[in-house]
Amino acid sequence: MVSTPLLEAAELISRERVAPGFWCLGFRSPEIARRARPAHYVAIDLPGTFSVRLPLGIWTARDDTFTLLFREWGERTTRLACIADHEPLSIIGPLGNEFSLPDTGKRAVIVAGGIGVVPFWLLVRELLAAKVRTTVVLGARSKHMLVGVDELRALGADVKICTDDGSAGTRATALDLARELAPPDVFYGCGPPPLLRALSEHANAAGIPCQISMEETFGCSMGTCWGCVVPIRRGSPQAVGYPHASDEKREYDFARVCVDGTVFWSREILWNR
Amino acid sequence: MMGAGDDDALDLSVELGSLRLRNPIIAASGCYNRGAEFGRIMDVAAYGAVTLKSVTREPRLGNEMPRLLSTPGGLLNAIGLQGPGIAYFLEHEAPKLAAVPSAVIASVAGFSVAEFAEVASRMDGIPGIVAIELDVSCPNVDAEGACFAEDPASTAAVVEAVKARVTKVPVIAKLTPNVSDIKPVARAAEAAGADALSLINSLRGMSVDVDRARPWLANRSGGLTGPAIRPVGVYHVWEAATAVKIPIIGMGGIETGRDALEYLMAGATAISIGTANFRDPLAPLHVGETIAAELRKRSFTRVRSLTGMANPGFAGARA
Ligand SMILES: Cc1cc2nc3c(=O)[nH]c(=O)nc-3n(C[C@H](O)[C@H](O)[C@H](O)COP(=O)(O)OP(=O)(O)OC[C@H]3O[C@@H](n4cnc5c(N)ncnc54)[C@H](O)[C@@H]3O)c2cc1C
Ligand SMILES: Cc1cc2nc3c(=O)[nH]c(=O)nc-3n(C[C@H](O)[C@H](O)[C@H](O)COP(=O)(O)O)c2cc1C
Ligand code: FES
Repeated sequence: MVSTPLLEAAELISRERVAPGFWCLGFRSPEIARRARPAHYVAIDLPGTFSVRLPLGIWTARDDTFTLLFREWGERTTRLACIADHEPLSIIGPLGNEFSLPDTGKRAVIVAGGIGVVPFWLLVRELLAAKVRTTVVLGARSKHMLVGVDELRALGADVKICTDDGSAGTRATALDLARELAPPDVFYGCGPPPLLRALSEHANAAGIPCQISMEETFGCSMGTCWGCVVPIRRGSPQAVGYPHASDEKREYDFARVCVDGTVFWSREILWNR
Repeated sequence: MMGAGDDDALDLSVELGSLRLRNPIIAASGCYNRGAEFGRIMDVAAYGAVTLKSVTREPRLGNEMPRLLSTPGGLLNAIGLQGPGIAYFLEHEAPKLAAVPSAVIASVAGFSVAEFAEVASRMDGIPGIVAIELDVSCPNVDAEGACFAEDPASTAAVVEAVKARVTKVPVIAKLTPNVSDIKPVARAAEAAGADALSLINSLRGMSVDVDRARPWLANRSGGLTGPAIRPVGVYHVWEAATAVKIPIIGMGGIETGRDALEYLMAGATAISIGTANFRDPLAPLHVGETIAAELRKRSFTRVRSLTGMANPGFAGARA
């Protein structure tokens, strides 16, 4: 299902530096908070000099507030981290499609790398409410880049952590850890592309359905600029198909991450087209 | 919210050849599709017209990723004219144009004079298309990949071939800023029969990924758009307005009403907004309100009175 977005002025109500270079900001916006579904994101207009809206995933949503959890990547995220308190920001959201849920009693394994944890607070809350047995495997380069663990545990989730350098949890990648678990009924993934690709290949080989929330550089965040596409199996329901394209042997079409995604089935994504 | 056209005392309408628009604010090609996406959060009727993404003869998958980079005050893009091609466009997209709440300007891109003429002629007379814009900023495969719009003769060849086959709607030639002097190209387009000019298209640019020591865009170079390029656009519009009599649609970095006024006063009859939609989807409303306020402040009743006001060399028809 694709969201019904709003253009809203959301007031900044909380700011916390959760790790060096990582921030959690809270906003009051009753309608966006109420409509937020797992994997939805918002597009934020930053005050000051022009830049295109910044896309960020919705982390938590409760009552009339939602939070964003982000890293200082570059210009816009650095500016967002120092927005004045109570500044109203123009936010479009929620945007994008959402994860679909398995039936009650099934088992789900979530694989997240670093800041890729963001779409999973809402998902874990939904899965637990639907009585899906859920394990989150969260990996990061090192301890100080591991964010969101406490909030997920507070929901009651089984969270396993690992780091590349062993500074927290097991010294392993999130996928290594996930492979050691009993095969689930469904995988969910978000994080760096190499992790997502490896997870997709693992899930596809094991015949386990796997939903991936993808990321690309965005321009419009609305589906009009064609800047954010990913190659998708030709004919996939999410692909923007050009049926009579002359190169009939081509296996892929493109889909826009911003409106056709961000969530795609791993079997549909053509990583090495 | 008051739309730009709601103020009875003011006449915001403009004429581009035989085409009359209810207001001079146009959505730029490649940034807006048919308006349905932005229509989810605002009233697209704020635009007097919407320009469609450029259509080529064959379907095109466009460039590899990444295609975009947010840069200071702008956006660097290399989409590569992804699109379904003219046959799919006519069959599946053209029938949906009736639902667009603004006038629709179609855009054609091509890699040869013949391609432009063919695609444009197939769009001529399609219900809902009120004008055809030619994106002549593409490489000409018949001239070793040189860009049409960088050369007056190639620009004229495209316009002439299209005008010979398009008879029902005005033809707009969209020029590139990647020239040192735009006047010869503008004159050539006018002499070849263009009913109006659009300028500017994106400015060629590039960014290097220092960490990985390679170009950031998969296509290596791209087109810079957004407020960063506005002074370049205003300059080219000013120059072209001294060289031709046909109306000019000014664009490049228009974000606010004052930006639009700069273009109008430099010599534009209408203006387009592209990249600014990616920050402020309500930009056309704000621009319309500011233009209306400026007219009242100056005791003008028609937006046409602003055109070329600041430009002593303005060669077009004064309102
Ligand atoms: C749907 C979606 C949801 C997202 N959710 C989140 C989230 O919840 N949390 C989060 O932290 N991020 C998230 N992101 C990622 C975030 O939007 C991007 O990283 C965004 O580009 C950051 O913008 P910026 O202006 O701060 O950095 P940018 O200037 O856009 O830079 C982004 C990255 O590219 C690098 N870069 C930029 N220019 C160059 C160059 N010339 N050479 C080399 N490297 C360069 C920067 O160093 C940085 O790592 C999400 C992205 C999408 C598409
Ligand atoms: C993502 C993107 C795609 C574009 N695609 C086209 C196109 O297909 N044809 C065209 O004539 N111009 C295209 N343009 C150029 C715009 O129509 C406009 O001329 C340019 O962006 C300058 O205006 P702006 O600064 O308001 O965006 C594109 C611009 C952007 C940002
Ligand atoms: S960001 Fe523009 S189409 Fe996706």
